[in-house]
Amino acid sequence: MRVWRSLLAAAALSAVLAGCGAEAPSSGTPAGSSGPWSFTDGSGQVVTAERTPTRIIAHAGEANALMSFGIRPVGIYADEPVATDPNLKDLDLDGIEILGEEWGKIDVEKAASLRPDLIVGDWWPAEKAHSGLEEGVDEKSKKLAELAPVVGVSQGKSIVELAEGYEDLAVSLGAKVDDPRIAANKQRFDEAVARFKAAVAAKPGLTVLAMSPADDQVYVANPEYAPELLDLQSWGLQVINPDSPDPAFPYWENLSWENADKYQPDVILWDGRSFTPTANAEWGAKQPTWFQIQAARAGSVVAWPAYWLHTYGDFATELDLLTAAVEAADANIGA
Amino acid sequence: MRTTATRATADRTARRATALAPGLVVLCAALAFVAFLSVTLGSRSIGLAEVLAALGSLQSDGTITSTVTLDLRVPRTLLGILAGAALGVAGAVLQGVTRNPLADAGIMGVNQAAAAFVVFAITVLGVRGVGVYVWFAFAGAILAIVLVYATASLGREGATPVKLALAGAAATAGFGSVTTGIVMTNVDALNELRFWQVGSLAGRYAPILVGVAPFLIVGLVASLAFGRVLNGLALGDDTARGLGQRVGRTRAAAFAVVAVLAGAATAACGPIVFVGLVVPHVARFLCGPDYRWILPYSMLLAPLVLLLADVLGRVVGAPGELQVGVVLGVLGAPVFVGIVRYARLAEV
Repeated sequence: MRVWRSLLAAAALSAVLAGCGAEAPSSGTPAGSSGPWSFTDGSGQVVTAERTPTRIIAHAGEANALMSFGIRPVGIYADEPVATDPNLKDLDLDGIEILGEEWGKIDVEKAASLRPDLIVGDWWPAEKAHSGLEEGVDEKSKKLAELAPVVGVSQGKSIVELAEGYEDLAVSLGAKVDDPRIAANKQRFDEAVARFKAAVAAKPGLTVLAMSPADDQVYVANPEYAPELLDLQSWGLQVINPDSPDPAFPYWENLSWENADKYQPDVILWDGRSFTPTANAEWGAKQPTWFQIQAARAGSVVAWPAYWLHTYGDFATELDLLTAAVEAADANIGA
Repeated sequence: MRTTATRATADRTARRATALAPGLVVLCAALAFVAFLSVTLGSRSIGLAEVLAALGSLQSDGTITSTVTLDLRVPRTLLGILAGAALGVAGAVLQGVTRNPLADAGIMGVNQAAAAFVVFAITVLGVRGVGVYVWFAFAGAILAIVLVYATASLGREGATPVKLALAGAAATAGFGSVTTGIVMTNVDALNELRFWQVGSLAGRYAPILVGVAPFLIVGLVASLAFGRVLNGLALGDDTARGLGQRVGRTRAAAFAVVAVLAGAATAACGPIVFVGLVVPHVARFLCGPDYRWILPYSMLLAPLVLLLADVLGRVVGAPGELQVGVVLGVLGAPVFVGIVRYARLAEV
């Protein structure tokens, strides 16, 4: 019922808007026009506005994506302190209001004072919600959605698709993506992908495993729910798919420390949120079975940009690190 | 007491002692057997012969089977025995000193408070090493005991079981939310800190064991001295005073012992519930009201329960593991309801 109602409302609204404008709006209305604006949200809904939004509030990674195309939001809400958020820590945020630095908590009053005309957050298909408005966040935070229309690109199977989606959104908002400084990121990314593919092709049989060690068990990432790992697989890298992910939380397979050596990859992709240059040695000292993984013992570990990438530029930088690790790897370490 | 006791009571006491002393031996044997299970069974299947070979060599030879047996399972089992004993005895002492059948370090929020203090020490103060943060666990435990007991004692009728349980529930929720709050704001550390929300014996090895064992052993030995005074307190504060006890001082000393036991156990294994609540009731069911027997029985029964629950969690959760805190929560709740329904537990 609710779905039908909102569909009908959307249909009615677009009919009205179509009546006002000269022609029905399509996804990605050209830049700078004062005419009606529309964008096809990750949920599949077409979101429309009478004029192109300019006062945007965006979630952390989405803000990073828009800014990489030259669109500056007026406000940003993040899931962790700006100083540590991988999407935000290196950005110039001068003049942009920070509306939250903790998952589930957004200062909606402050957000309202910015008079936003668009909210941008990734669409999560499994949760059927945009970033920051999911199940479990503060009820007050959800009022953000009442300030302006919410749009986002669907999170899913590929960071490349995500980056392309935000490129489309940025174009609809007036970004000049042909500007050499902006286009340079995408070019750098294309070159990084080419180098990565070549490095992987030169190491047939090389396997990698994405892992996150923790105090009580070891977590092995399921690529099916990690878009960047799916991208790496699509470029030829053999990222091992764990055979029994946790049914309740299929992002990971949980291994007890007794079973830490269940998989024997040649390279460990280490959850970037906890990776440090000394992490491998520390876990080896702390967990007696960590070095039973031959790649860990050999120090064959590299940071994996887990679940945060949104831009061509960031992906290019991370890919170059992975390429170096693949080139340096010994395909005979693991089983 | 001896002079006023009737001949029949004296007989019963003597008979009980003759039955209860061998009972302790049986429990020791049972605990040894469960400890053996805990070393031989786990989320990784290792043949009995290999386990025995590893145990025989006493020194890990670098193979995974000997590492798992000697470096993972042996310290984990010893820790389970010590922490279990501590939680069981802490519960028995708390029930005796408050004359309250629902008193328990878990119910009263003592373990949650200790865990919250540890998480605070680790995340905010950057403390590393169990030898340091165990002191924060003690502080948290003391704070919760004083807070909950004082709150429950307000009002004319004193610290009734229900008031104590309610104040404890409030403290549990309060300190638990502090932990959750700190954990949630540290997205990066979420996996590492999850441990402090549900108790677990996983990933706890020799350094942790060595760090907390002295406190636990001292606390356990000290607690055994409380049998007689708890018997006195069971007759009511006035009678206990009549028997020459300094009630206030006894209570303070007992609370201090509980804080050491529950604090050190929590610093080692996270907040583990139900053991401290259920086990003393089982002990009381077996031994009657004499705390000189309830305390040692609790000390042996509790690690038995904790280790069994831990082994169960390892076996059913493979290739991962179910935290022992979760297993105990699932198993403990119906057992506790059963005790409340059938064992007339108000007679503390």
